[in-house]
Amino acid sequence: MIISADRLTKQFRTLRRKEGPLGAIATLFSRDYEIKDAVRDVSFKLDAGELVGYIGPNGAGKSTTIKMLTGILVPTSGTCTVDGIVPWADRQANGRQIGVVFGQRTQLYWDLPLIESFQLLRAIYNVPAATYERNLREFTELLGLDEFIRTPVRQLSLGQRMRGDFAAAMMHEPKVVFLDEPTIGLDVVAKENIRQFIARVNRDRGTTFILTTHDLADIEKLCARIILIDHGRKLYDGSVETIKGRYGRNRTLTADLNCENCDDVRITVPGANVVSREGPRIVIEFDRDAVRADELVVKLAQHYELRDVTIAEPPLEAIIRDIYQHGLGDGSVAARDGLLVTADVETVS
Amino acid sequence: MASLAPYWRTYAEFWRLNFLTLAEYRANFFVWLVFTLVLHGSAIATIWLTMNRFPIMNGWTWQQVVFLYALYWLASSLNGTLFFTVGDVPWHIREGRFDRFMVRPLDPLFQIISQPGQIWPDELIVATIFFAIVQGLVHLQWTIGVAGLLLGAMVGGAFIDFAIQLAVATLAFWVVRLDTLRWVVMSLETDFTRYPLSIYNRVVRFTLSFIFPFAFINYFPASTLLHKTAQGDYAVNPLLGWLTPLIGALWFTAAYLFWRRGLDHHQSTGS
Repeated sequence: MIISADRLTKQFRTLRRKEGPLGAIATLFSRDYEIKDAVRDVSFKLDAGELVGYIGPNGAGKSTTIKMLTGILVPTSGTCTVDGIVPWADRQANGRQIGVVFGQRTQLYWDLPLIESFQLLRAIYNVPAATYERNLREFTELLGLDEFIRTPVRQLSLGQRMRGDFAAAMMHEPKVVFLDEPTIGLDVVAKENIRQFIARVNRDRGTTFILTTHDLADIEKLCARIILIDHGRKLYDGSVETIKGRYGRNRTLTADLNCENCDDVRITVPGANVVSREGPRIVIEFDRDAVRADELVVKLAQHYELRDVTIAEPPLEAIIRDIYQHGLGDGSVAARDGLLVTADVETVS
Repeated sequence: MASLAPYWRTYAEFWRLNFLTLAEYRANFFVWLVFTLVLHGSAIATIWLTMNRFPIMNGWTWQQVVFLYALYWLASSLNGTLFFTVGDVPWHIREGRFDRFMVRPLDPLFQIISQPGQIWPDELIVATIFFAIVQGLVHLQWTIGVAGLLLGAMVGGAFIDFAIQLAVATLAFWVVRLDTLRWVVMSLETDFTRYPLSIYNRVVRFTLSFIFPFAFINYFPASTLLHKTAQGDYAVNPLLGWLTPLIGALWFTAAYLFWRRGLDHHQSTGS
């Protein structure tokens, strides 16, 4: 076990604003604080070498948790350890063993060529020369840094800068790496590069990663386990497969029909609903456990000529969105209101 | 056990990188240098004009008042060279960039003052040249004691300057905007260090000696060096001039402890 969080809680105190014409002045002298729980009683344990997705909607408390694990914030109550160190109690010892990538804030020096930032970090982390040389060579190769390593950081594209940031965060071979929105704003190719790099470092070096992201494709491609939080509380902690099995029982069937009055198409299978129709394309959603896919297709084929049929399981994103909106409840939440957006379905084969 | 090696290596890198940016920011360097010269030139001109009207100010000649200024400039430019970036702390905090300094294995304050940027010792060099000229005007008699006192005033004075700026910057952990307070403290420093402390009333004297001890940067050491023990109604013990390093160490320690409290109070804005 490398990380242990035990009932971590962080409260923020904000001044309650006063209304009325003199509100601003009244606020100035007010002692009326509002206490908000950013994180409430969050506990979990991570084993060395795990690659865990830490997800939740905006304001759920993801960043606040990460900031406590990295020693930036002192929790209001509860505690945590990172490889035996309490982060905020010994920030410098913790700093030696962790790496942090904030997708929105670079740690590279704007005015300097990329390589100079590495040199400075090498001094800050006291990285032995041999280790530095080896890592520089490996990261240069994996991330393709050589084409821009002598370019001032301010002239790099976002994708190049992120690659530089990843190398910078790994140069001292941290045991645990915290990634906060590492692929935000990147194009598809750059995202894929970054994901491959994370997977590779995790596999080859056994580095533990905690990843917060809004791009659930990152999670699907990288993480076996997710921790889901909302309103500061832990909602789910387990494998991606389990959450898909339990909360993603819905399937969508997309069919292109050969029909003249396609708007008249009706389907009368209990547990299956038409969720959208657009010209000859009809999208039907059904509960995997209630309706058999083959029966649905046969029934459809009895009445209409089928040009094309695809059946898709919901992407993780749809499942998670559904949990954000309706809580965990019982397994078939997604089936209830036909929430799946068809645009997502089409991208899945 | 934490080793000191990363500190001096980082510090050496910091200066190497500063000089590396010098070539790239040549224009900026010259603009900054000219700005500094104009700023200090006009301050000195003001002193000179004032002293034309009051040739002797509480027993101080115009040369001696200019010496006061030269001594202050020496200490403040040393502070500016070594610790300039401490003024960026509120800005780092507000923009959410301060977090980065808390997740690295070196003291965050050390990281702040060794942020590579456009920092060059140009002002310190100009201030040293200016001081070399002015010490001739007051006929300073050089002995080892005088040199020691001057060095103490310069280094101790830089630390007093640094400590006050650090304490003000540390408030940013609690208060979002500090620009006004910074401006007030800065004017207190630049305006009240120009003339002998003895011309001010007791409140100002007390404030500049024991709260914001700017008088220890230049006034007390200059009084000792120029043997100004009695100035009007104000008697100065010549030993006070020797206390600058001690005051610098005390105020810096207090400011640093305050800073450490600030770190634990850091609220870290944004996501």
